[in-house]
Amino acid sequence: MSSEHPTRAEDFDLYALGALDNAERQAFESHIASCADCAEKVAAARGRMAILAFAAPTVAPSPGVKETLMRQVIASAEGPGGSVARLHPGHAEDSGVFARWWAVLLPVAGAFALATVLLWLHNEQLNRQLADLRNTIEQQKQELVETRHQADLIAARETLVVPLWAQKGTPESHGEGHARVLYNAKEGMMTYDGWLPAAPADKSYQLWLVPMNGAPISAGVFNPQNGEMSHMMMKLPAGVTAKEFAVSLEPAGGMPHPTGPMVLVGPIS
Amino acid sequence: MVTAEKRAELKATDASLIDRIVRRDESALAALYDRYSGMLSSVLNRILRDTQAAEEILQDIFYQLWRNAAQFDSSRGSLSGWLLVIARNRAISRLRRHNPASGDELSENTVVVASNLESSVAQQQLMAKVKSALDNLPKEQRAAIELAYFEGLTHSEIAQRTGDPLGTVKTRLRSAVETLKRDLHP
Repeated sequence: MSSEHPTRAEDFDLYALGALDNAERQAFESHIASCADCAEKVAAARGRMAILAFAAPTVAPSPGVKETLMRQVIASAEGPGGSVARLHPGHAEDSGVFARWWAVLLPVAGAFALATVLLWLHNEQLNRQLADLRNTIEQQKQELVETRHQADLIAARETLVVPLWAQKGTPESHGEGHARVLYNAKEGMMTYDGWLPAAPADKSYQLWLVPMNGAPISAGVFNPQNGEMSHMMMKLPAGVTAKEFAVSLEPAGGMPHPTGPMVLVGPIS
Repeated sequence: MVTAEKRAELKATDASLIDRIVRRDESALAALYDRYSGMLSSVLNRILRDTQAAEEILQDIFYQLWRNAAQFDSSRGSLSGWLLVIARNRAISRLRRHNPASGDELSENTVVVASNLESSVAQQQLMAKVKSALDNLPKEQRAAIELAYFEGLTHSEIAQRTGDPLGTVKTRLRSAVETLKRDLHP
């Protein structure tokens, strides 16, 4: 029978009924496996035999069956798609599942990437602000150290306070200006606070310590802006006894030795 | 009281309910259960004569439908026919202590039922028609077909059970299916 169609129409019903013995059934199944027409007839025969179920006395299931079923369904972690995916790997439904996942994951990934960039930019800005704050702190620390040194200098008994006065007849400074020097010879520390008119463009003011013996020692070069006080703190060789302090007008950038006119002078009395 | 939602479920086709199950709509499974559980419970109890075993299989069939609904192709066969075939196969396997059926039943067993059984009225009408057709069969033919259908016996097994010659049993069964086909599917 495997290569021939069933000879009688009832054969399909008898097969669907399950009445064929093993040899007949196997031959029948072998044929319908390769015969689409007979497979269709088997499907119809299954339907004809299936309705014999209605000959059974009616027995309704208990309500608990449905309740248990629905609880099982709700508790089930995987739905129909998940099961299909497992039974038929690579089936079309698989790509549907992945597509649904990608549809959710792609926008999330995009938002995550955007958030990462924004956070990075914000972090860079914070780093710059932090660096500025650190510089400010360093400057303030330096200023604090200088202020403490100045305070220590003023408080020290051996510190000299030397006023410097403008020298009449110096046309470059118009005879204007005043300053004060604090000098501690033991520590070699010196501060200068004063006011002078702005120096000509090609000139600078230079402060000098004039010792008892030897040549004047440069204590600093400065270029005050109009109307501004100048403040300097210098470290000089310790143990030098000063005779006077002076400010001269020198070529821009200063000179090793005084060459220009003295605009401020402060002798130690 | 039947709500509007319930009325909509009653009117929904099997195919649309299957589509909703594929989309994990639990209410669609509940609607199919309400539609077909009575029919299946009857045949399961008739075969097994064991309410607990029948209800276990009933629950399992619908759970399998929930899990594998995507495999069911409504264009190839009817859901009601498939449910009846699977219920009978499983009950007879249980009766004979065969291995339980695999999950491939949904795609492998195409069943074409000529009648639309989606309403309880249609099921009641078919029930009356089937019982009438069986009542009209000669007693020996009816006994033979019931042994085949409800107990899953083959020609040889029926002959063995009844003590009738194998040829006689084959003739009775052939005549019975021929008559039923004529009466139920004119």
